[in-house]
Amino acid sequence: MRKASIYLVLALMAVVASSASASEQDANEIMKKSHLAYYYAGDDGMADVTMTLIDKKGKERNREFAMLRLDLEEGGNQDYYTYFRKPSDVSRLTFMVHKTAGGNDQRWIYVPAVDLVKPISADDKNSSFVGSDFSYEDVSGRHWNEDKHTFVREDQLDGKSVFVIESAPKVEYQGFAKKVSYIDQSNYLPLKEEYYDNKGELARVFTAEKIDTISGIPTVTIRSMENVKKGSKTIVDFSKISYNVGITDDVFTERYLKTPPREYVK
Amino acid sequence: MKKIALLSIGLLLTAAVPSQSEVNIDGFLQGLYGGRLDETNPTSTEQTASETRFQLRAEHYGDKAEFFGRVDFVWDGADSVDYKWELREGFLKFRVGSGFDFKVGRQVLTWGTGDLIFINDVFAKDYRSFFIGRDDQYLKAPQNALRAEYYHNIGSFSLIWTPRFEANRLPTGRRLSYYNPMVPGIVGTGIDDMYYFDPPLPESKFENGEVATRFQRQIGNFNSALYFYKGFYKNPVGMDLVNMTAYYPKLNVYGASIRGAIWGGVLWLEGGYFDSREDQCGEKPNIPNSSVTGMIGFERQVATNLTINGQWQADYMLDYDYFAAQQMPGVFVRDEVRHLLTSRVTKKLKMETVTLSGFVFYSPSDEDMYLRLSTEYKYTDEVTLMAGANIFDGKHENTDFGQFAKNDNVYIKLTYGF
Repeated sequence: MRKASIYLVLALMAVVASSASASEQDANEIMKKSHLAYYYAGDDGMADVTMTLIDKKGKERNREFAMLRLDLEEGGNQDYYTYFRKPSDVSRLTFMVHKTAGGNDQRWIYVPAVDLVKPISADDKNSSFVGSDFSYEDVSGRHWNEDKHTFVREDQLDGKSVFVIESAPKVEYQGFAKKVSYIDQSNYLPLKEEYYDNKGELARVFTAEKIDTISGIPTVTIRSMENVKKGSKTIVDFSKISYNVGITDDVFTERYLKTPPREYVK
Repeated sequence: MKKIALLSIGLLLTAAVPSQSEVNIDGFLQGLYGGRLDETNPTSTEQTASETRFQLRAEHYGDKAEFFGRVDFVWDGADSVDYKWELREGFLKFRVGSGFDFKVGRQVLTWGTGDLIFINDVFAKDYRSFFIGRDDQYLKAPQNALRAEYYHNIGSFSLIWTPRFEANRLPTGRRLSYYNPMVPGIVGTGIDDMYYFDPPLPESKFENGEVATRFQRQIGNFNSALYFYKGFYKNPVGMDLVNMTAYYPKLNVYGASIRGAIWGGVLWLEGGYFDSREDQCGEKPNIPNSSVTGMIGFERQVATNLTINGQWQADYMLDYDYFAAQQMPGVFVRDEVRHLLTSRVTKKLKMETVTLSGFVFYSPSDEDMYLRLSTEYKYTDEVTLMAGANIFDGKHENTDFGQFAKNDNVYIKLTYGF
C-alpha cells in the first residue's frame, strides 16, 4: 500500500513535471516564432513611419521618419537606420542601432546642423524612443531568451484564435515584471501585449491595430502603445513597406549616417 | 545693397520651390532676448541679445548629387539696429566611384570626441553666440571648404581644405567684454570704441589655407582616429610687435582619439600636440609655446531620462620656464599644466517635452568657471520655449573664463519651427 502510494506520487510528479516542461517548451517555441514573425520579417525591410504621441489631455505630437532594417542573422543581430523628416527641429537627423541579441546594443546619432556624429550610451533599453510610449526595446525587440515563458491558455481575441502566453524576465528588469501576450495562431503576430509592473499593476498595453499582408508577409501596419498609468498613447503607422530590398550592411556605417542612402531614404 | 542681396536670395529660394518635386523646405522663426546681470560690465549695451531670426533650409537631391542650403536672416537690435543675413550652409555633395564622397561649399565641420571642448577639432567656433544663448548649432561657425572622404576596408580618410582661414568668433567688446593685456584689464566698447576687438586675418594667399586630415578606423567597439592640421591658431593669441595688434600665429596639430561603448556608457580619450610653428624653441614672448593636450571623458545614462557625463582635460606647456620668466609682474601666470574639468547633466521630463540641462566648465589651475543652465519646454511640435543663463566666474582677469566674469547673462527664447 505504502509502496503503491509512493509510486503513485512519483508517477504524478513525473507527469506534472513533464507536462510543465512540455508547455514551457511550447510557450518558448511560440514566442520564438512570434519574435521572428514580428521583428525579423524578410531578410531586410524598409518603411515610412508616422508616430502620433497623444498625452493625457489629448494633445498630439507627430514624428515622421524612414526606417531601414537588415537582419544579419535570423533571430540574432540586426542593424537599424532611422532618418527623421519631422518635426522641424529634428529634420534630417539620422540615427543608427547595431542590435546585439542578448547583449548591449550600439547606438549613434548624427546631428547635421553641427556635423556631429555621436555614440549614445545604450545601457538603458527601457528608455523612451523619441519621447513616445514605446521604448527602444519595443522598437528593436527584446530577445525571447531573456524571458521565461509560460503557456496560459488558448483563447479568442476579436474573432481570432490566440495563444495566451505569460512572460517574466529571467533577470530583474525595469521594463516589466510580467507580460501577457496574445499571439495570433495563424501567423504568430502579437495582437495584444499587457505589461505589468513590479507591483502587479497593468502599466502599458500594446495593440496591433491593423494587419496587412505585404509581399506575402503578414505585417502589423498600425500599432499602438497605451501607457495606462500616465494616460498617454502612441500610435505608429507604417506605410510604403517593402521587404527583401537588398539593403547591404555598409549602409549601417558612419558614411551613410552622414549622407543618407537616397536610394532608400527620399 | 544688403537689402537687395537679401531679397534676391529670398526670391531665388521661393522660385526654386514649386518647380521641383524633390525640393524640401523647412526652417524656423525665433526670438531671443537676453540681458547682462552685472552693472559694472564695460559694454555699450545692457542687452546681450535682442534678435529675431528666420532660418530657411532647402535641400534638393537628384541621382548624382544633392544640394543643401541654410540661410539665416537676423534683425538684431542688441547694440545697434542691424539687419543681416548669413549663409550658414550652402554645399553640394556627390559621390565618385564607390569610395569617394565630396562636399563642396559653405559648411559646418566637426570631428573629435569632446563634449564642448575641442583638441583636434580645429574648425571655427562662434563663442559670441555660445555665450549669449543662441542655439547650440551656432557654436560652430561655417567655413568655405572642400571636404573629400575616401572609404576603404582599412578605414576612412578625410581631407578638408579651407582656402581662406576662418577664425573663431570671439567677444568683440560690444555686448560681451573681454580681457585686454595692453590695458591690462577687462574692457568693452562702453569705455571706448578702441576696445572693439577685430584682429586682422592672415593674408588670403594659397599657402595660408587650412588643411585638416583624419584617418579613422573601427577597432571592435571602439572608433579610433588620427588627425593632422596645418593652419593657424583659431584665436588671435599672438602679438604683432610692429603694429602692436593681436594676430593669428601659424599652428600645426598632430593628434589621436579613441571612443566607444564600455561600462554601460561611452568612453572617450583624445590627445594632441600643438606645434607653434613660429616659435619652435618657445623663446618668443609674443607667440604661444607649443603644448600637449589630453582629454578623457565618460558619459552614462544613470537613471531613466537622466544622463551625466564628465571630462578632464590637461594642457601641458612645453617651454614653460622661459614663458613664466617673461610674464609681467602682477598678472596671473598660468600653471605649466592647465586642468579643465567639465560635467553635463541632462534630465528629460513629460515625454521629453521638458529638458533641464546644466553644463559646467571648471579649471582648478586657472581658478575660473563657466556655468550654462537651461530649461526647454516643447509646447507643441512647432513651438519651443527656452530660458537659460550663462554664468562666468574667475579669480583672475586674464584666464579663459575669468576674463568674461562681468558677462553673466540670462535669456529667453521662443522658436516656431515649420
